[in-house]
Amino acid sequence: MDGRVSISELEKVYGEGAERTKAIEDLTFEVDGGEFASVVGPSGCGKSTLLYLIAGFLDVTSGTISVDGNPIQGPGTDRGVVFQNYALFPWRTVFENVTYGLEEDGVPKEERQSIAQQYIDMVDLSGFEDKYPKELSGGMKQRVALARTLAYEPKILLMDEPFGALDQPLRESLQDQLLDIWGDLEKTVVFITHDVEEAVYLSERVMIMTRHPGTKKTVSEINLDRSGSREEIVTSDAFADYKNTVWKSLHEETQTEVTL
Amino acid sequence: MGYATSRHIEGLPAPLQRVAGALVDWIPLAIVVVLWDLISGAVVATAILPAPGTVAGKIVELFVTGQVFSHLYISLFRVVVGLGLSIIAGILLGIGMARSDPVENFFDVFLAMTYPIPKTALVPLAILWLGVGTSTAILIVFLACLLPIVLNSYNAAGNVDQNLIWSAEMMGTEGRDVLLKVIFPATIPEILTGIRQAVPIAFVALVSAELIASNQGMGYLILTSGQIGNYPRMFANIVVISAVAFVAVRLFEEVRERWLVWT
Repeated sequence: MDGRVSISELEKVYGEGAERTKAIEDLTFEVDGGEFASVVGPSGCGKSTLLYLIAGFLDVTSGTISVDGNPIQGPGTDRGVVFQNYALFPWRTVFENVTYGLEEDGVPKEERQSIAQQYIDMVDLSGFEDKYPKELSGGMKQRVALARTLAYEPKILLMDEPFGALDQPLRESLQDQLLDIWGDLEKTVVFITHDVEEAVYLSERVMIMTRHPGTKKTVSEINLDRSGSREEIVTSDAFADYKNTVWKSLHEETQTEVTL
Repeated sequence: MGYATSRHIEGLPAPLQRVAGALVDWIPLAIVVVLWDLISGAVVATAILPAPGTVAGKIVELFVTGQVFSHLYISLFRVVVGLGLSIIAGILLGIGMARSDPVENFFDVFLAMTYPIPKTALVPLAILWLGVGTSTAILIVFLACLLPIVLNSYNAAGNVDQNLIWSAEMMGTEGRDVLLKVIFPATIPEILTGIRQAVPIAFVALVSAELIASNQGMGYLILTSGQIGNYPRMFANIVVISAVAFVAVRLFEEVRERWLVWT
């Protein structure tokens, strides 16, 4: 399937001279087309940097990032980012935010409107088309942001702690909504989070990053039976085992943080 | 906002609240007029401080005879053109400086140097270059209004959320389009704040320029009325231009509020 992300011997250095800091070092990782992969790590491990490198917002210092074998050059519509702070255009209504990518792509107006409507319906925001972002709650804004990104149909979704600012019940409902959408649309998802439970619940694989400079520490395969309800999944022994494994690996990193 | 239409007065039915609130806003002005009336003729001779009633009569006369209109029109024309040019130049300069290092480096020193100069002090220089008349008045209004607009758009355009710019880029917006489709709209609230600051400054600059360098306009009327000793007419013209400036500010605020429904 399309949407394979290959990261090879990636290095990212910020600044120069005395202020030179290495954010990411020797990171090699592959996400299959259609896979849901999470990246967890202690704060400051460079996981957001990694996401912005994949997005093409930042330039790599050395190493390569490829999508389906082609090295990326800057941002592209094959990848779509969902930001923690939503990053909606405040001067555009919900509907106009969702149509933005289609406008840029030159999609004719009527087609634009029907596509936008389809994704607004998908994230359960019908009736809110003409609202401005400031009139919406955080959860609704993030659903608009998701619809906006989905609407121009990138193969790869890059999500930077998208539910980090939301309270627990809302997070859970958005997680389930995201899983449904992922199941329907067959996107590759790279999901950044610091929440172990969220990573295990959502992903097929979880990469744990070391702290400063960030690199791949371990990768855990998550083979959960996801046919049941959320309650059945999160109370299962398998879920607890995966959570413990990831948590322990992550905890070693946060421990070093404390002793520093 | 300063002009409260939100004051709440106990025991009044809702429709009257707005009217009552507006009346309350005018109380300070009413006090000044009453004091003015008391002082005029009692403490200060009416010859140099005509009573408000006399001035009001003169205002009516100015409008009934129609002699104020041509001057008012030319003054408004100068304000609109000068302010308009400063809005266009101010936005381009402000956004340009915020988003381009060469532009910033080039204009930064001029901003720092011209900031402390009262723009009305440049009137004699403007006369030398442009002569007496509309061009000079427009230039002074333009220069006086430029800085608040530049500074507001410069600060705002430099602080646009990077994620908004990235959002547009990931959806295919490139190069100059980013300025047009993200930076500019994101900066509009602060640009309007800059214009709001510039509107009264425009009238200050206008009258200052017209007092020295014009044969037409409200400033000219004020000056000549004073020179021939017609102080009621001088006061009347001062009141008229003040009222016009006040209305201009209120109108602009009204427009801004309607335009910025999304903030």
